[in-house]
Order: sequence, then structure tokens, then C-alpha cells
Amino acid sequence: MYSFKTAMSSLGRNAVMTAASIITIACCLFLFGVFLLFAFNINYIGEQISSQCELQAFIEDTVSSAGEERILKEISALPNVKSAEFESKEKAFENYKEELGSEYSDNFSGMDGSDILRASVKITPEDLTRVGELEKAAAGVRGVARVVNREDIIRRVISVTNVIKIGSLIAMLILLLTAVFIIQNTIKLSVHAREEEIHIMKFVGATDGFIRRPFVLEGVIVGIIGAAAAIIVIAFGYNAAVSRVVEFLDLFELYSFSQMALPVCGGLLIFGVVMGSLGSRTAVRRHLKV
Amino acid sequence: MIEFRDVTVIYDNDIIGLENVSFKIADGEFVFLVGKTGAGKSSAVKLLTGEVKPYAGDVIVNGITVNRLKKKKLPYLRRSVGVVFQDFRLLPNKTVYENVAFAMEVVRAKKREIRRKVPTILSLVGLSDRAKNYPNELSGGEQQRVCIARALVNSPAIVVADEPTGNLDMETAEEIMKLLMEINRMGTTIVMVTHSSKIVDDAHRRVIQLESGVVVRDEMEGGYNSDVLV
Repeated sequence: MYSFKTAMSSLGRNAVMTAASIITIACCLFLFGVFLLFAFNINYIGEQISSQCELQAFIEDTVSSAGEERILKEISALPNVKSAEFESKEKAFENYKEELGSEYSDNFSGMDGSDILRASVKITPEDLTRVGELEKAAAGVRGVARVVNREDIIRRVISVTNVIKIGSLIAMLILLLTAVFIIQNTIKLSVHAREEEIHIMKFVGATDGFIRRPFVLEGVIVGIIGAAAAIIVIAFGYNAAVSRVVEFLDLFELYSFSQMALPVCGGLLIFGVVMGSLGSRTAVRRHLKV
Repeated sequence: MIEFRDVTVIYDNDIIGLENVSFKIADGEFVFLVGKTGAGKSSAVKLLTGEVKPYAGDVIVNGITVNRLKKKKLPYLRRSVGVVFQDFRLLPNKTVYENVAFAMEVVRAKKREIRRKVPTILSLVGLSDRAKNYPNELSGGEQQRVCIARALVNSPAIVVADEPTGNLDMETAEEIMKLLMEINRMGTTIVMVTHSSKIVDDAHRRVIQLESGVVVRDEMEGGYNSDVLV
């Protein structure tokens, strides 16, 4: 109770500095939260790309329908095959038309598609790291003309997302250190204002823990309020921003805020508390050496 | 009991605070520490509160070897040694009552205990009617009384007074001395650092004189100046 009362009165006494540091912490944690959301979505996009990684084994035109069934069976039996799906020439033509959209449908009138595209088997691999072996094995199946592997492009995209993830982590770390530094300086002001009190406390036999507690509490309160403000801005801003991004870039699905609410809010609050406590502890340490 | 056993204090800048100092102070004694500035009086006081650690030797307070005490345990030692400062060091935003109660709050005394004890101590130091006043509304003597009350409120066995009359006129200083004598009569050991020859001469108590970090005189019922040197 003593610690809480002291912390609150100290926050009130340094109201301007407290407000300034809450705003700065909120900004840091807001940016931290943005990077967090970014990292989550990059990860999600990576997962989507990985799930799209499939091989396509095109079948020679001369192969009969019985031969096509044999090829599907043989490919399905290969190691590292999660699933294999046959796509007839007609189905391939239908899919192609669908991808192009209705505005181009007139261009294909009168065509049945049986002579335009090749039949194929679409293969989803189990383990992405062994796609090369699967590609060779599928190409060796009798009647397979060639195997198309989009692995290279996918790997490149994944490595780019990894770089972005690492970059985000570094940026988050810098932001956190900045926030700790800011909290530390706010608490230093409080410590300075109560230097004499701390000195007297030491002489009448107060333990270091007892002296430190109000300052730590003060830092934690600043951290929590800053985190709460950041969460509010992020929660309102994210969905609006995502709907615009999705409209603009209709390639991948992104998380909604509610799907990430728990880890993001929890993460920001935990970081607010940790930073507040860490900043205060370092601020008061020197004054406890009496 | 207080015991210094061959205590040497050397500061970071190689200045010697005390050199092979040994003495014993029995429970309930009143001892003056006298000497010129830089003689080692402050070092002796700081050793008693654990503020400074000796380079060599042992400082024993109430059976506890202070210099071997773990940092965590130091606050508990300090509760048995009350400190009275020359410059009072009262908190300006707290009343007389709150300044004294503060010393109990920070050692987590119960509220009921605080309510019982603070008025008693304030009455002892003659400040019952000033309980609600702030330090800036008090005279120097009254402020020193608050400081003494704060040092006493946790019932320490020892009170260390570092030039408690240094900032006071002689009349007020004598009143403070009367109060300290009274507290000593009730059984509290008092170690007082002073530069006032009149106070020491009038008190007729034990005098330990330091010079350049060495005890040069330890005299029962001595005066401020004496020919008796060890």
C-alpha cells in the first residue's frame, strides 16, 4: 500500500514528465506492435506460399486414359508425396479460362480445349526440402513429358520473408531498448526528487527491496499505460489498414486483428511491464549503495 | 556493546581514515568522539552504520561483526543504531509526526504500533504540541529534537549523533545535550561526535580523542582538551 501510494503521488508530482514518457513509450510500443503484426503476417504469407508449393508433371499427348491412370498411381506411390491430383486437358482449359476471367471468355468460343493444354498430375510434396528428389522421380515415370517445379521462386520468396522477419526483430529490439532508456530517465527524475528520503530510509533500516518497490511500481504503471494506449491505436488502426492493403494487393490472405489479439496485446503488456521494471531498477540502483 | 578491533580504514584515494584503532564501548555508556577535522571521527561513525567497511580489523556492534555482514542484513543492523545528523535531514513535505512515523513505516511497523509509539517519543523530546507542524515552521533546536525522535522511535540500543549541536546556538545545544543525557539514562548507548569543548567539559563523560586516524586519548570523565594521551 505504501509503495502504491508513493508511486502514484510521485507520478502526479512529475505529471508532465510522466505524460511525456507515457506518450513516448506508447509510440515505441505502437511501432513494436506494428512490427509484431508485420512479423505475424509475413509468417502467415510464408505458410500460404509453402502450401502453394506444388509440382506439376505434364503428360505426353500420346498417353491413353488408361496410361494417365497408371501415371497418377505411380506418382502417388512415390516417396515424399502428400497428395497427387490428375488434371485432364479439358479441366486445365476450364481452369485457365476461369483464371483469365469472364471478359476474355468470348475469345475461347468454339474451342473445347482438348488440343490446347496438356493433361497433368499436380503433386503436393510432404517435405519441401526434398522437392528436388521428387521432381527427378516424377520425371522418370514413363509417359511424363516434363515436370515443372516452382520451388526456386517459392524459396526466394521465403528467404525474403525471413530477412524481413529478422529485420523486424532487430527493429523491435532497438525500440525496446529505447523504451527502457526513456523509462529509466523518467524514474531517475523521481529518484532525484526523493534522494533525501532514500538516504533517510537507508539509515533507519529500510531494505533495498522496500526502497526500490515504489520506483519499480512507478515504471510498471508508465509501461502498462503506454502499452494500453498502443494497443488501442493498433486495434483500431489495423483492420482499417488491412482492408486497404488487401484491396490493393489481392494475392494473400492476412490475419484479422482478433486472430492476433491475444499474443499482440499480451506481448505489448508484458513488454510494458518488463521495460518499466527494468528501467526503474537500473535508475534506482546507484542510490541504494549507501 | 561496540568494539573496534585494530580497525584500519583506507579510502579509494589512498587516504587513511583510521589506523589500527581499538576500543570498546559498553552498553549504556555515553562517549564523546573528539578531534580535529579529518581526524577520523566520521570514519568511526560510518563504520558503526555499515556505510564504510574497514580495510583491516573488525567492527562489532551488539555482537554482530558489521564488516562481515551480508549487504542484505545491513538494514536490520541499522534498525539497532539510530543516527542523528548535524543537518537534521528532515523531509520538508512531512509533518513532525509524519517524519517520525516514516522511520517506523519503512521498517514495516504495524499502524497501531506507530500510532502508539510516535506520540510517546514526541512527548519524550518535548514536541507533542508541534506534531502537526512542518520542519520549516520549527526552530533549529526543535528540528534536531525531531531528528532525535526519529532516531529513537525504532528503539535502537545505540544512538550515533554526528555533531548534533553543530548548527545550534549554545543555549539550544545545551537543551539537546540534556535530552541526549536523558535518553542515555534510560539505557541507550550514545556515541556523540562533537567539536564543542563546552559540551564535553560540562558533561564529564568518556572522551575518545582521534588524531590523524589514531586514538590519542581515551579518558573516562574527560574534558575536551586534556594532557592525558595514550
